[in-house]
Amino acid sequence: MGALGALRTSKVIRFSLCVLALTCLSARSLPAQDGSSPAAQFEQRRQRLLDVVSQERDRGFFTVTAKFITGRDTEWAMAMLDSLTTDESIGGMFYSYTAIGTYLRLKDQLPDSIKRKIRRAFRERTMYRGDTENHWVMYYTGLYLAAQTWPNEDRSQWFNGKSSTENFKEAEAWLNRWMNITSTIGQGEFDSPTYFIVFMTPMLTLDEYAKDPVMKRKTQMMVDLLFADYAVDHLGGNYSGGHARDYPEDIINPLSAPAALWAWLYFGEPKSELWGETRYHPRYRGGWETAFGAASSYRLPEIIYRIATDRSKPYIHTETKRVRNIIRFGLEKNPPVYKYMYMTRSYALGSLHGGILQPIQQHTWDVTYISEKSNNTIFTLHPFYSGKELAMFFPEEQKFLSDEVNRYHLVYTDPNKWNSSSPYEQTFQHKNTIIVLYNIDKDAKQSHVDGFFPKTLDERIEHNSGWVFCRAGSVYVAFFPLKPYEWIEEKVNWRWRSSVVKNGVVTEVGSSDEDGSFEEFQRRIAKSKPAFNDFDKTLTVHYQTRGGDKMKFTFGGDRTLNGKTVDFRTYKFFNGPFIQSERGSGIVKMTYENQVRELDFKKVTIKEWRQSKQ
Amino acid sequence: MATIKAIVPVVLVLVFGGTAPPDSDAENRGGEPQNSYYAAVFLNRGHVSGGGISNLGLFRRGLGDTAWSNIYRRNLFTFGLGLWKSGSTTRQYIAAGNGLHRSDDGRKTWRVLTDWRTEEVLSVALDPVDSAVIYIGTPFGVFRSTDDGARWQKKMSGMNSWFVRKVIVDWSNRSALFAGAEDDLYRTTDKGEHWTPLHVGVPGMEAVVQHPADPKHLLVGTSDDGVRVSVDGGKSWKEGKGLPNTAFYAVCVSSDKQTIYAGGYQTGLWKSRDRGFSWSLLWQDPEIEAVYAIFVHPDDPRHMMVGTSGQGIYESRDGGKIWSNIGLKGCHVKQIELYP
Repeated sequence: MGALGALRTSKVIRFSLCVLALTCLSARSLPAQDGSSPAAQFEQRRQRLLDVVSQERDRGFFTVTAKFITGRDTEWAMAMLDSLTTDESIGGMFYSYTAIGTYLRLKDQLPDSIKRKIRRAFRERTMYRGDTENHWVMYYTGLYLAAQTWPNEDRSQWFNGKSSTENFKEAEAWLNRWMNITSTIGQGEFDSPTYFIVFMTPMLTLDEYAKDPVMKRKTQMMVDLLFADYAVDHLGGNYSGGHARDYPEDIINPLSAPAALWAWLYFGEPKSELWGETRYHPRYRGGWETAFGAASSYRLPEIIYRIATDRSKPYIHTETKRVRNIIRFGLEKNPPVYKYMYMTRSYALGSLHGGILQPIQQHTWDVTYISEKSNNTIFTLHPFYSGKELAMFFPEEQKFLSDEVNRYHLVYTDPNKWNSSSPYEQTFQHKNTIIVLYNIDKDAKQSHVDGFFPKTLDERIEHNSGWVFCRAGSVYVAFFPLKPYEWIEEKVNWRWRSSVVKNGVVTEVGSSDEDGSFEEFQRRIAKSKPAFNDFDKTLTVHYQTRGGDKMKFTFGGDRTLNGKTVDFRTYKFFNGPFIQSERGSGIVKMTYENQVRELDFKKVTIKEWRQSKQ
Repeated sequence: MATIKAIVPVVLVLVFGGTAPPDSDAENRGGEPQNSYYAAVFLNRGHVSGGGISNLGLFRRGLGDTAWSNIYRRNLFTFGLGLWKSGSTTRQYIAAGNGLHRSDDGRKTWRVLTDWRTEEVLSVALDPVDSAVIYIGTPFGVFRSTDDGARWQKKMSGMNSWFVRKVIVDWSNRSALFAGAEDDLYRTTDKGEHWTPLHVGVPGMEAVVQHPADPKHLLVGTSDDGVRVSVDGGKSWKEGKGLPNTAFYAVCVSSDKQTIYAGGYQTGLWKSRDRGFSWSLLWQDPEIEAVYAIFVHPDDPRHMMVGTSGQGIYESRDGGKIWSNIGLKGCHVKQIELYP
């Protein structure tokens, strides 16, 4: 037995002991299926998706997989597979895990010639590791599974000159480290409607094919965690609130994001089949990754499904995440990110605490609402950019980083962009109210603040009280700009723009559930206005919400609620009615009614039980 | 692999990479390999990390060739090169996004020596005598291996910032090194165990050069403040006069040992004849956003090459009066070397 085999054996023993300690091991699938159960409905959607994808002819392993599974168009699929494994112009971390995932899933159907080509790819191509968290997850997932598949091979057989054992150990160590960090202090590329897919797809692949039972179990727990993390921010297919990173098209049109298709598959929302919904302009960046989900044996625990879809009661949910690795111009490698979410059945108001938490593509806050129309979101931002910001996270020379990034993230230096982190933006949210303040440096390249207001709103009223009232169906938004502004008409939206550097907005969100009519909402809101006397000197706003709570927020200073300072240091890893976790504990407890599911990442155990009603 | 102790150490922080195609000139001649030019390409415009194969990695141009050809990893973000040579033994290094790559067999095969713990490797420095001792500069500090790259230890004691762009070994004292970090230039005299700031006075060390004839003569290119010079081993520093306050990514002492060149961001190529204390503009092309690398032929100081950001490589054979582009358009060229 080689070193790799010995390694696995020891883990089997450890895992066996671990299993004995469990009070209850979860099943891998949702409860008993009947025609209308969530499990049965998932199976229908899964089959439907595979059927749809198998009719596509997109280049890539995902369509190939769907065609083989359904038995449709396999001749084309084989030709595509041959091309994918022959074409030397493709490689890297995206290729790595999808190639080995396809190999493992289809190995009984593939001719030896294709298998040899996939093996050769891991010998001769550069499976470049990349420079982001998702890149590394894909790279090390691919490397782990490849080294597992071809164990006991020497250095000459691998693209990086390392043996199977070396590659396996390296990949295993990094994956464990990433899982440990992510389950204790959070993801760096957290809650991203686009990048969700490049964490979920490799994790589902690893969950499916890791032979080591500890890794397999831990990966299953990671998949649970990623879905649960999505679930608490999920509203009707929308990944709501603040994101570490996303593309502007998805930020202004949430259901166009790739994660929405995963919501459709696993959460059953939105109800409509997104690929046919031109109003949402859905994008499948990378091409039908969900096919790997549909092909997977992983089944979403019912409790996560319930957390994602039960919006019968409004809730507050807070989280901590972490800033992506800071390599310079910082004092801490991964400072915490504080997230706040207020969720109702018709809208979600969510935010990050502000500042530079991620480069390039940060989305700091929004209100996202259920709508039959596209562009169902409102938010503001300061369109910041600087080489120094990029140099915090990338090792290249900072002078040219802005231009270089702008070449592929096409809007990075665009003053009209819809995604941005900014050191001059901070938020303070309480329930359905948020105060966002701006203190833009005189040397900043952009000195204005923009707000996105979709044209699909049913009403947008500028009230003489200074409030702007908006209505989208039964959802109401009240928006109070502290400083003068203008409206700029654009294709799908009105751009609210204020070119004052010391600035701010107060936003309250309501609905017919909470406020009755739109007129009543306006009446209640208009009774109260933010107080911001001497704002340019104090950068302080006082505001009493229509619920009677008193908020005071100073840019760069305290956030106080009803006279008490909000201390972010008290934020837990997850804290809400559905998910609870102490930061650093590695224990994530999900609760829905009397069901409990507890993931213990340090012991690598899953426990499920039912608790007596309080 | 056993450690090799060099009898006549020659360490060049230079060159290359390549898994498959060996150096054809060397093979074809069957004897002493003929020199070739090697270029480290970090980025190709429009390339996205993780996308398809592009035009990055290690490129070679034989003396009689007119074109550069990729010889190693067309999607490898390559920051720098290094060479350890003693007698007929050579070890060739690439500092890259994937880690530190090395070939011990004339670029026939390569091995990545580092793993995720060191993250990206921005530069490599080699002990001139003991081949087993390797230093790397990374975004998270200096790492050292004393066992031929098998294990790496972070060596940051005394440093106030962790981003280290460049590490070089003091050619007059193999226990001493210089590390260009985010906040300052650091020096160690105990192989990295302890570092002392040299108080350059401005942050952002982009290039670090020790004069090949005077070990106390140091030059640094900085990220915002031109070039700084010390002629007393780093005890005191002077600003290079005449230079604009911008980033200088490359500083190079000519093979005539008298002329010094520097280049950087939107500033062209500069020349000094007084050890770097005053500078004059030698050449500027508005097409070139930045100069990343400067090469002067060891036997002909009039023969120069410049690696640019996105415009490939320019060459002059008359000491910098006339320049022509000699290829790799679109590429960010981080280092150019002549190597056997």
